[in-house]
Amino acid sequence: MEKYKFLDEITSDVMFEAYGKNLKEVFDNAATALFTIICHDVHGKNVIDVNVTGEDISDLMFNWLQELIARVDIEEMFFSKFEILEISETQLKAKIYGEPVSPEKGETVVKSLTYHQYKFEKTEKGFMTRVSCDI
Amino acid sequence: MKNKLKKLNDFEWLLPKGARKEMRVDAKIIANDLVLEALENDAIAQLTNVACLPGVINPVIGLPDMHYGYGLPMGAVSAFDAQDGIISAGLCGFDINCGINSIVTTLTADEVQSKLKELIPALFSAVPCGVGSKGKLRLNDDQLNEVLTRGVNWAVENGYGVKEDISRIEENGCMEGADPSKVSDMAKKRGKPQLGTLGAGNHFLEIQKISDVLDKPTAKQWGIDKKDQVLIMLHCGSRGFGHQVATDYLKQQEKAAQKYKIWLPDRQLVCAPASSQEGKDFFAAMKCAVNYSFTNRLVMTQWIRETFEKVFGKSWQDMGMNTLYGLCHNVVKLEEHVINKEKRKVFVHRKGATRSFPGDVVLVAGSMGTASYIAKGLEGSLEKSFGSACHGAGRVMSRASAIRSFRGTDVRDELAHRGIIAKSTSPKVLAEESPDAYKDIEAVMDSIEGAQISKKVVRVVPMGVAKG
Repeated sequence: MEKYKFLDEITSDVMFEAYGKNLKEVFDNAATALFTIICHDVHGKNVIDVNVTGEDISDLMFNWLQELIARVDIEEMFFSKFEILEISETQLKAKIYGEPVSPEKGETVVKSLTYHQYKFEKTEKGFMTRVSCDI
Repeated sequence: MKNKLKKLNDFEWLLPKGARKEMRVDAKIIANDLVLEALENDAIAQLTNVACLPGVINPVIGLPDMHYGYGLPMGAVSAFDAQDGIISAGLCGFDINCGINSIVTTLTADEVQSKLKELIPALFSAVPCGVGSKGKLRLNDDQLNEVLTRGVNWAVENGYGVKEDISRIEENGCMEGADPSKVSDMAKKRGKPQLGTLGAGNHFLEIQKISDVLDKPTAKQWGIDKKDQVLIMLHCGSRGFGHQVATDYLKQQEKAAQKYKIWLPDRQLVCAPASSQEGKDFFAAMKCAVNYSFTNRLVMTQWIRETFEKVFGKSWQDMGMNTLYGLCHNVVKLEEHVINKEKRKVFVHRKGATRSFPGDVVLVAGSMGTASYIAKGLEGSLEKSFGSACHGAGRVMSRASAIRSFRGTDVRDELAHRGIIAKSTSPKVLAEESPDAYKDIEAVMDSIEGAQISKKVVRVVPMGVAKG
């Protein structure tokens, strides 16, 4: 099953879809896609615990990715591995692995997710999310 | 949608409100034939989204650099009644007060050219560029609050910039009424380590030389009247602080739109009634981000001056390195405009747009490797575009296509072949920002001048660029 793909929809920005057989997988794959925009060749040595809440599963995905974007600035780390420990419709607990930021491994700043064409859907094969990022 | 445009004159096109049944007002596009040909149909359709929002004032404006964005095009201006209209985090954009500072010098291109190979790397290390570089300042809570409320006044008091800089920045580098209590802890945490950082993407620090002086009296008055005179252009924004403020209010205004039963033509165009508490809170928080960004650019301006001092062995004052002007691109302003012969207070939302009040310095950044312009605001901007002009050339190709179409190293080599030194943290960003991914700046400027919005004063061309 394809983990994610980038779509050529927005002239100035970046849009991707991520897929997963289950919730853990789609949340993991969306985070992985996000970090291919931000950095490269990062190895998950340092670990941080993350708890995220949302009003529903779609909101939870949005908040999860948004939390990761913010964590890059706050922890000054790039992330490469996302272990979703527990997940419900409104809450998740995860361990995220990464290393301190370095210019050599940086790609670009993702300023934020946007609501433009944002989607989180149940599909025949599991789940899909569509995300556009302001970069 | 493009086929519904009606030509008003060689530079203005009307999209009547009948083009879509939910439109409350017309849309108008400032474009000559060349620009119009390059405009995406979808971007024109996005202008109609804005024309559907409550309290919108006729018309919604598409500037010649407009291109497809999220919810609305980049390069759009809209005004909303201060009482009955809305204020929108979505229409402002995520990089609040992304903007430009231009610094003049008395150096000539020959003087700079001989030092360019030393200067660009020195600037690149003095000004943290790119996603992986760390800021040199670490603000504590009190210092951050000072930055948020007092803007560049904090910078000048702390040795970043001089008092003469203050009056040469839009809003004097500080919007009044900024309230840090309306800003989340998350935004503050993101803001503390990042003051004095450039960021990435289309942000840059460019060394330029004047190629053409087009309005001699104004150029002389502004001290930019010598061909081959060197200028510096700094383009960046409010970094993670502003991004978080925008994101926080995007979520809050989505709820506000539901609460106040505002129909949204695109989910990204969240908004709140301007007179509601939610609307007021956003405005007060947005101003914090505006002030952060003004300060960010002035801090880096001082580091640029210090770098020139090291490379050229003279004081920055001896090199005449004064701020020409600093301005905002993504911002909401409460302004008074004459609408149907009546003065009204309106919230002007400039998304990828520059203020162009009569006499204003208007800085228009071309793409990497092409010309930029310094222009002067004209009376026509008040009648035609709520006192606004374009902010750049505007993309014609998505970042993803640009990366597929060009190699960063080829772009760098091509620029080097033309004598332009480009340095970036990642070669990919050079591909993304390839000049071929942008519209022709000359056609964009011809449109804005033809519509009597801004008048070209000088044309500048790049000598070297540092990018994130």
